[in-house]
Amino acid sequence: MSPRRAIAATLAAAAAVATLPWLTSDFALSLALTCVMYAGLTVSWSMFSGVTNYLSLATAAFFGIGAYVTAWGLGTLPYALLVPTGGLVAAAFAALFGAAVLHLRGAYFAVITFGLGELVRHAITYFEKTYAHTVGRVIVDVPGSTAVFLTVLAVSAAAVVTALAVRASRFGLALAGIGSDEARAETLGVGARRTKVAGFALSAFFAGALGAAMAVRWTYIEPNSVFNPFIGFQTVLISMVGGAATIAGPLAASVVFSLLTEFLRLQFPYLFLMLLGALLIALVLYLPGGLASLAPAVRAWLARRAAGDARG
Amino acid sequence: MAETVVAATDVTVRFGGLVAVDHVSLEVARGELLGIIGPNGAGKTTFFHALSGVVRPTSGRLVVAGDDLTGRPAHVFARHGVARTFQTPRVFRDMTAEANVRFGLEFAGRGRPAGRDAFADARSILDFLGIGAAAGVPAGELTPARQRLLEIGMALGARPRVLLLDEVAAGLTEAEVESTAALIRRVRDELGIAVVWIEHAVRVLMRFVERVVVLHQGRKLADGTPGAVAADRDVVEAYLGEAVI
Repeated sequence: MSPRRAIAATLAAAAAVATLPWLTSDFALSLALTCVMYAGLTVSWSMFSGVTNYLSLATAAFFGIGAYVTAWGLGTLPYALLVPTGGLVAAAFAALFGAAVLHLRGAYFAVITFGLGELVRHAITYFEKTYAHTVGRVIVDVPGSTAVFLTVLAVSAAAVVTALAVRASRFGLALAGIGSDEARAETLGVGARRTKVAGFALSAFFAGALGAAMAVRWTYIEPNSVFNPFIGFQTVLISMVGGAATIAGPLAASVVFSLLTEFLRLQFPYLFLMLLGALLIALVLYLPGGLASLAPAVRAWLARRAAGDARG
Repeated sequence: MAETVVAATDVTVRFGGLVAVDHVSLEVARGELLGIIGPNGAGKTTFFHALSGVVRPTSGRLVVAGDDLTGRPAHVFARHGVARTFQTPRVFRDMTAEANVRFGLEFAGRGRPAGRDAFADARSILDFLGIGAAAGVPAGELTPARQRLLEIGMALGARPRVLLLDEVAAGLTEAEVESTAALIRRVRDELGIAVVWIEHAVRVLMRFVERVVVLHQGRKLADGTPGAVAADRDVVEAYLGEAVI
């Protein structure tokens, strides 16, 4: 699919999903909200980490920063303005942090990004205790669930459109070259450092904006809930299950994974995390390229079936 | 005298206690075809790393087409017209051959003048190298010999002033070596690009280049025409009487 058509298809799909608040129950809508949030988180994560192989565990940090922008700003600024502000603060933070650590690769980069999440969480806890004399914040005067859903949907759709545009661009080519062989890309004229910092910041923008948009879902915000490392791990896992080098893979996996998690949680409340873990291990062992790597096989199977139908 | 495209002055590269390149000076003129030979561990590849900004020299100066690039990162060298290949081909394995060449064109080659009109796009560069038919094939699936050619294509996409070739003939059959050498000649003759060529297969190199530099234990041992260098006693001794020259 050409980038232009893929973007048009994304916008059409987002418009269709935008009707959900008027069609479904509150329960189904909250489930859809989780799907859409993870779609945005995973696609924006893959945009940088999936393409460059710089595995970031900092999603929780950016998400939490965005959430705290809302927690601090709500009441002063309108919600619609807080969401992009949360994104920008997270992006600025990612740019600073990225400039300092993006020369590290592999496990070192993963570990230091995880450390970043912990650092920010404890820094905010300390700040709140010492200066604001509070451990958490009660969020009042929140927008309705329809407004939240549409906002999260808008951010996630923007993430997908951005990922598609980046992939088709010169910037995307530079990121792919860095992922494939960074030193080679440098000798062909790519300023790897600047490219990586820009990609990392762009990816963080969406995580921050989603955190800012989602913050109003919780009536009480504290560092331990919004800087939950689980969000970071979940994002990485879903992206990998879907196929981190693609855009459609993480998108599809977000929906499948969120629904599956919810189903398992309701059906097997005590076993569900174990089942989820076993499933992940099986997927990583037997489908390392993610769900997206099944696409050619499925297409071939469909073609064979179509050919068989034509004969029969 | 012809214009100098690359000038290295007293370049030294030290790794801990090891001096890999020891006060080497070298000027490469526009359109020159220059070979660098030397035994294993002579510092040939490290010198290339310095010339292309991959390794920062411990001391010395590097000037590319009049601009002092000493200490600058590799992409700045590339944008000033220094392109290179690697000893083991480093292609973007998952990208098609065409995308590999387009990579150079999009970054280092962007805004630099094409050697000739036919080099406007990736396809014409692949055709020049004789691998146009493989344009749509992922680079990782090409044979090693074709990956070497593709690497030259990636470097040509960068529209260089000087092309640094690190053992492009290694592991090739006799016939492939001949055709690669002929191709390198054409790069120089038709595009006017200076070529600096490191090769272990000294015999082929001596036939094709106009000037040879011999590196030995990180130092420049000789510099002159192939005939003069082959007759140099120090050079013969460095090779321990190997009858290769």
